[in-house]
Amino acid sequence: MTKLNINKREYQLDLKGHETLLEVLRDNLGLTGTKTACEESECGTCTVVMEGKAVLSCITLAANCVGKEITTIEGLADGEQLHPVQQAFIDHGAVQCGFCIPGMIMSAKALLDKNPEPTLEEIQYGLDGNLCRCACYLKIFDAIRDAGEKMKTLKGS
Amino acid sequence: MLLRPFNFHTPNSLESAVQAYGKLRDVKLQAGGTFLLNSLKTMKRKGVKTPQHIISLAHIPELRGIEDQGDCVVIKSMTNIDEIYDSPLLTGNLGVLRVAARNISSQLIRNMATLGGNLTCRYTWTEMPAVMVASRARMHFVGVDGKEEIVPAEDFFKNAAKTDKIFTHVSIKKDDGISFVYYRAKKSVHVDIPLLSLCVTTRLVKGKFSQTIVAVNNGVAFAQRDRKLEEFLNGKSPGKTLAETALEHLDAAIYDARGTDYKKYMFRVGIKHILRDLTEKHR
Amino acid sequence: MAASAQKTFSKEYVDPVGKSVPRIDGRGIVTGQTKYAFDVSFPNMLVGKMLRSPHPHARIISIDTSKAEKLPGVRAVITARDTHQIKFGSNEYFFPHTVDQMAIEAEKVRYVGDELGAVAAVDEETALEALSLIDVQYEILPAVFDVREAMKPGAPQIHESLNNIAVILPVNFGNPDRALKEADYVREDLFFAPAAHMAALEPHVCVGQWEIFSNKVTLWASSQAPFKCREALAKTLKLDLNDVRVIKMAVGGGFGGKLEMLPMDFAACLLSRKAGGLPVKICCNREEEFLATRRKHGMIYKIKSGVKKDGTLAAITGEVIADGGAYCSYGPTVLAAAIMRIFMLYKIQHFRMTGYRVYTNTPISGAMRGFGGVQAGFAIESHMDMLAEAIGMDPVEFRLKNITTPNMVTINKMVLTTNGLKECIEKAIESCRWYEKRGKQKHLCRGIGIGIAADVMGSKMYKSHESAGSIVKVEEDGSVYLFTGAADTGQGSNTALSQIAAQELGVSYSRIRCKSGDTEITPFDTGSFASRVTFISGNATLLAARDAKNQILAIVAEDLELDIDDLDIKTEEVINTKNKSVLMSFDKALELCYAFHYGKQIIGRGSYNPKTTPIDFRTGEGNVSGSYGFEAQVAEVEVNKETGEVDVLKLWDAHDIGKAINPQSAEGQIEGSLAMGLGYTFMENLRFDNKGRPANGNFANYRIPRSIGTPPIECIMVETNDPNGPFGAKGMGEAALLPTSAAIANAIYDAVGIRLKELPFTPDKIIKALKEKEQIESLSKGA
Repeated sequence: MTKLNINKREYQLDLKGHETLLEVLRDNLGLTGTKTACEESECGTCTVVMEGKAVLSCITLAANCVGKEITTIEGLADGEQLHPVQQAFIDHGAVQCGFCIPGMIMSAKALLDKNPEPTLEEIQYGLDGNLCRCACYLKIFDAIRDAGEKMKTLKGS
Repeated sequence: MLLRPFNFHTPNSLESAVQAYGKLRDVKLQAGGTFLLNSLKTMKRKGVKTPQHIISLAHIPELRGIEDQGDCVVIKSMTNIDEIYDSPLLTGNLGVLRVAARNISSQLIRNMATLGGNLTCRYTWTEMPAVMVASRARMHFVGVDGKEEIVPAEDFFKNAAKTDKIFTHVSIKKDDGISFVYYRAKKSVHVDIPLLSLCVTTRLVKGKFSQTIVAVNNGVAFAQRDRKLEEFLNGKSPGKTLAETALEHLDAAIYDARGTDYKKYMFRVGIKHILRDLTEKHR
Repeated sequence: MAASAQKTFSKEYVDPVGKSVPRIDGRGIVTGQTKYAFDVSFPNMLVGKMLRSPHPHARIISIDTSKAEKLPGVRAVITARDTHQIKFGSNEYFFPHTVDQMAIEAEKVRYVGDELGAVAAVDEETALEALSLIDVQYEILPAVFDVREAMKPGAPQIHESLNNIAVILPVNFGNPDRALKEADYVREDLFFAPAAHMAALEPHVCVGQWEIFSNKVTLWASSQAPFKCREALAKTLKLDLNDVRVIKMAVGGGFGGKLEMLPMDFAACLLSRKAGGLPVKICCNREEEFLATRRKHGMIYKIKSGVKKDGTLAAITGEVIADGGAYCSYGPTVLAAAIMRIFMLYKIQHFRMTGYRVYTNTPISGAMRGFGGVQAGFAIESHMDMLAEAIGMDPVEFRLKNITTPNMVTINKMVLTTNGLKECIEKAIESCRWYEKRGKQKHLCRGIGIGIAADVMGSKMYKSHESAGSIVKVEEDGSVYLFTGAADTGQGSNTALSQIAAQELGVSYSRIRCKSGDTEITPFDTGSFASRVTFISGNATLLAARDAKNQILAIVAEDLELDIDDLDIKTEEVINTKNKSVLMSFDKALELCYAFHYGKQIIGRGSYNPKTTPIDFRTGEGNVSGSYGFEAQVAEVEVNKETGEVDVLKLWDAHDIGKAINPQSAEGQIEGSLAMGLGYTFMENLRFDNKGRPANGNFANYRIPRSIGTPPIECIMVETNDPNGPFGAKGMGEAALLPTSAAIANAIYDAVGIRLKELPFTPDKIIKALKEKEQIESLSKGA
C-alpha cells in the first residue's frame, strides 16, 4: 500500500508502483482538476505543488511521493471561500478556456508563497513552464500581482 | 500513458543506494526524473526495452544541499536547479552557477531537475557542464565498493561523462580573484535548450589575463575547452580591440562542428560579448 | 400559495451589458471542478484507438482484424466494412465535390495518420497491442508533399480532381490589366506563410455511447460545432438528427481545429455499438494532435499591384496557392477568406486574384483561427507598406486614402454599415505617437509599423442558413435558464450571451444559468467560428429574452388592464414606460404568471439568421456577414542587429467591435489573438518530413508563446454601435491576429531596413537579410 498525502488528506492506495502522480490523481482519486496536454513536461497543465514547489505531476512517480505534502487545485479553496489566487484570476479576467488554469494557479501559488511581491520578471520566469494558448498572460500577471498583495495582507493580519 | 513496470527502490542513505546500485542489474538511477521519466515514455512508445530497476536518489538527505566549507563550496548532486539559483552562498566566482541556472528550461523543470542530472545525463546540450569546467570544479563519486573517487570536471567530460559510480557532489574553490562571464544564445525563443553557451573564467595578474578557461557547450560534443583561445588571451590586457582579434585565434573545429551558419555566427558573437564584458569588468 | 420568490438575487449585476461581469463558469474553472470531455469517465468505459496509415499514399488491398479481435480485453474492432462508407465534408452544401473524406477509409489512405480502422479495449495497453495485430496489406503509391509539385501534370493523383486542385477561386472585377498599365508604380511580391497548428491545450477527445435497442447515440465532445458534428454523424451513421446527441462539454480551446466531425468521433460511436453499448473514449495524444487532426494552410501568396502617384490604389492582382493536405475540410472558405478580406479594407475597382486549394499527402489543413486571413494579412499589409514607400507616402496616410468607409457596398457586394476603420487607425496612431517615432528611431534599431484587418461575423459556408437559436426559460423562483446552441469554447460566449439575456429581460446577470451546445436540449447553432457568436447567437438570445419578457408583460397587462406596449422590465422592475412608474418587482410579476388562474410557463424563444449571402465562387460576390468589424494594429520593435533577435516593445490594437458586451472578456480575446499572431510571426512553423509527417509535432519543437516574451499590449475599443448587433455589438475574436505579422514586418523595416517575406521571423533569417542588405549597400557604394 502506498500512503500519499494529498490536500491535507492521507490516502492508502493499492498501486502498481509505476504510476505517475498525474495518473494517480486523475484515475485513482478522481481529482480531474489536474490536466495534461502533452505528457512530456512541456505544457505545465499537470502542475501540482509538492513540499511548497510547483512540480510536473506527469513526470513524477507516485511511489516517489511518499511522505511529501501535495496540494492540487482542488485543495486550495477553504470551503466556499476561494483562495486569493483563484479569486484574483476571476476578478482580472485571466480565465478563458480554463484548461491551463489549474496548473497556472498552482505555479502562481507556489511563487507567491515564497515571494508575495514578485517583479514582472520574476512572475514571467515563475510561470514560464505553464502554457496558455487562449490568452497572452498579461491578465494572469495582473491577477498574480493582485493576489500577492492580498496574501501579504492576510499574512499580516 | 502508463509506464512499463519496474522495481522501484527508494534508499534513504547513500550507503544503501550504493549497495543496491552494485547488486542490481539492468538498473537506472533517478535524480530529478526530468530526463528519465520522459525517456521511459519515449522508449515505451518506440518499443525499446526499459530498465527493470530504478533507484531513486530523492530520499537521501546527504545528497542534498549547498555548503560553505571555508575554502570551497560544496553542492550536493540532488540539489535542484532552482535551489542553485536561490542560494545566497553562491557569490563571487560561484555566481556563475546562478547565472547559468536561471535560464535552464522552465521553472517547473528547474524545480525538479538536479545538478547531478544535468551533469551526468550524457546529453551534450545541458548547461552546467561548461560551468563546471570553467570553475575548475571537482566532481566526487562513490563507487559500488564504497570508495570515493574525485575527478576534475574537465576530465569527466573529456571522457564523455561516462561513469559507473554514483555522483555525490561537486566542490568548487572560492576565489574572489576570478571573474566570470557566461553567454547563452537561444534558438529563437527564450524557454528552450540553448543553441550554444560559453563560460569563461579568468583572473587578472598585473593587468593581464591569466589562467583563463574558455569552456564551450556546442551541443554536439561534451563540454570542452578552447585551448587556442585561452592561450591567446593569457598574457593579454583587457581592451576594446581584443574582441575582434580574438576571433582569429579560435579552435574553429569546436565552433563549426555540425552547426548551422547562424550557430557558427552566434559563437563569434558570443566570444565578442564575453570579451567585451570582461573588459568592462576590469576597467 | 405558489412558490414565491423568497430568494434575493444579487443586485450587483443589473444592466450587465457593457460591464466586465465575472465569467459565469469562473468558479468551476479555478477550482478544477469544470469537466471537459477530457475528464469524462464512466464505469466500464473502454479505451478506443484509431488505426492509422503508416504510408503517405497507398491503396488498401486487404485488412485482417482476426488476431486483434481474439486478443483478450478487446471488445470491438471496426474497419470500413462495418460502416456505410458515406463520405462527409465541411463545405457540403456549396461544394459537393469537396466531400472527400470517409471516417474510416475503405479504398485509399492519403496521408500518414489517415484512419482505416479502430479498436476498443479495456485499457490503453490492450488497445495499442490490438492495433499492432491488425494486418493491413497496402499497395504503396507515390506521394507528393510540396504544393507546387502537386499541381504539376503527372503528379500523384490524390483524389479525383485534376492536378490535385480541390477548388479554384477566380475573382475578377473591373479591368485590372488596363489599370495596372495606367498606374504610376507597379510592384510584385511573393510571400510565404507556413503551416502552423492550433495547438489548443485540450487535445481532441470524445466519448461515444450507443444505446443499442433505441438505436440512439450520444457523443460527449470537445467541439466548437456540436450541431455540425451531429449532422455529420447522422449522415455517416444513417441516423435521424434526433437520434444523435452531441454534448459539448467545457472545451479547452479550439481555434478552428474542433469545428467539424473527425473520424474519431464517428469511431467512438460505432465502436460502442459493436461493443454492446459500452461507452468508448478516444483521446488524441499530442503527437496525434499534430499529425491527424487539423492544421493551418501553408500559403504562397503572390500579389502584384499598381498605385497612382497621389496614393490611390489602381489595381490588385495576384495568386494564392494554399496547401490543403490530404482532404478538403474547410478549404474553400479558407481560400475565400484569404482573398476576400481585402475588399472589407480597401476601396478597389480593379481586381484579379486566383486562389488554388491544393491537395498534398500531408496532414489535413482546416480552418485555423483567421481562416486564411492571417496568411493574407501578412502578404497584403506588408505589400501595402511597400507600395506606400515607392511613392514616398507615409503608410498611415496611404491607408487612410484607400480604406473603406461606413455605409458603402464593396465591389463584391459586401454591405459595410458601421465601419470604424478610420477611427481605429487614428486612435492607434495617436496612442503610439506614430509621427514621433516612424522613421526616427533607426539609430536605436527601433521601428514602428502598422497593419489593418477586418472581421466577419459568420459566413454562410456549410449550409444555406446560418441561424442561431436560443431559449430563455424563467423558473418560478425567478432564476433563469438560457439554452443556447452557441458553443462556448473558452472565449466567454456563455457569459456574454447571459449578459445579453439578462439585459433584455431586465434582470440581474446573477439570475442566469447558461446551458450551451447540447444538441438535444439547446436550439441549433452552426458553431463557434468566424467570430459569429456575439452577433448571431447574441441576436437570437436577445430575441428569446424579449419573447420571455413579453410573455410576462402580457400577463401583467391583462391583470392590471394596461396596454402591453406601455410596459417594460428594467433593473428588476416592471415599469410603465409612459409615466415611468414602477408597477411591481420582477419577482412579483413572476408570482402572477405562476398564480393558479394564469399558470403560464415563461419560455421565450429566438431564432436569428443574418440577411447575408454566401460567396459565389464563380464571381467572388457575396455579402457574407451581417456586420463587419475592423481593426488597426501597431507594433513597435527593437532589432538586435548582432543576434537577429527582435524585441516587441509594445503592441497597440484599436478594435471596432460595435459594443463590448464584456470589456474585460473582449480585451482578453484581443490579447489572446495577438499572442497567436506573435507566435506565428516569430516561432511557429509546422514542418513536414520526407513522408509528410510533422517533423516537429510536439511542444518541445513546435514552440508557442510563453510568459517570457509577452509584450505590453494596449487595447483600444472603438464602439460604433452596430444597428444590427445585439446592443450594438459585432463579433470579434479573430481579427487581432490577422495583421500582426505584417505590422511587425513593417516595424522591422522601419527599424533596420530589411523586408522579410517569409514567416516565421527567426533570428537566422534576420541576420541573413541584414548581411544581404550590407552587401548590396557596399556594392552600390563601390559602383
